[in-house]
Amino acid sequence: MNAPTHFEDFFVGQKLAFGHYEVTKEEIIAFAREFDPQPHHLDEEAGKRSILGGLAASGWHVCSMAMRMCVDGLFAKAQARGGAGVEDCRWLKPVKPGDVLRMEVEILSLRAHPRRPVGFVQMRWDIFNQRELVCSIVTTPLFARRGA
Amino acid sequence: MWFEDVVVGTRTDLGTYTFTAGEIIRFAAKYDPQAFHLSVKGGEDSVFGGLIASGWHTVSVWMKLVVARRAEFEDSGGMRAGVSPGFENLRWVRPVYAGMTLRYSMQTIAKVELKSRPEFGLVKSLNEARDAKDGALVMQFTGKGFMPRKPNPSAGSG
Repeated sequence: MNAPTHFEDFFVGQKLAFGHYEVTKEEIIAFAREFDPQPHHLDEEAGKRSILGGLAASGWHVCSMAMRMCVDGLFAKAQARGGAGVEDCRWLKPVKPGDVLRMEVEILSLRAHPRRPVGFVQMRWDIFNQRELVCSIVTTPLFARRGA
Repeated sequence: MWFEDVVVGTRTDLGTYTFTAGEIIRFAAKYDPQAFHLSVKGGEDSVFGGLIASGWHTVSVWMKLVVARRAEFEDSGGMRAGVSPGFENLRWVRPVYAGMTLRYSMQTIAKVELKSRPEFGLVKSLNEARDAKDGALVMQFTGKGFMPRKPNPSAGSG
């Protein structure tokens, strides 16, 4: 099947899978220094003392890495028109150095914009490392309508 | 600061942040490489009509401001940064164009005791970013954070 590019190409229940993101200690610390400089995102020992059990990526970093996988795997190949928001985000497990992330995406609902030539495509992003589901996000990006 | 010290309804002004074109492009090149986040030209040619920040960049700056000011929250009845199970209802209401200054805030809206984790409580907050020029809402979400419970002295070993 061809990859979806326009609003009309999506259907409820559709499943997509993509992504390969190698998480490094250096990148965890660099993101945390800029946006979330809490000890458990900066230092292995501080991470061990926290409920995360070791140095772990900021949840906002996990979302940002998921976004990168989605851009590379879906949005950049499609007529994406930005995002309306995120209905729900669950940080289920810590993301640690050495983790390799991938995504499974399911389309949840579709709604044409009442005035503009775009549509809302609600989808769930399930982000896995080598072992388990680490983060689950429900979000609604917009895509251009075909022929508009 | 403990879960017990958080006062529901406390509103904290987190200050302002200006999004430069350089920062918008640097974040996007790493995490959100779509044309309208990557160059002025790409933004102008898009439905947005100008370079705009990634929504993940806009919300990450909220976290940056919370952590930067955490020492001030210790006595304020507000909520400090910590470990979070997630968030809800994040809305990117308006695009954030290069050069825009946003004013961020956080208001505690609920405290939830946790049966599964009796050593923590969950604090919910309504978080916002508004255009510093006209006060228009740009971004909003409901945050959740774990706060440690005050140890019960009568349950101690003493």
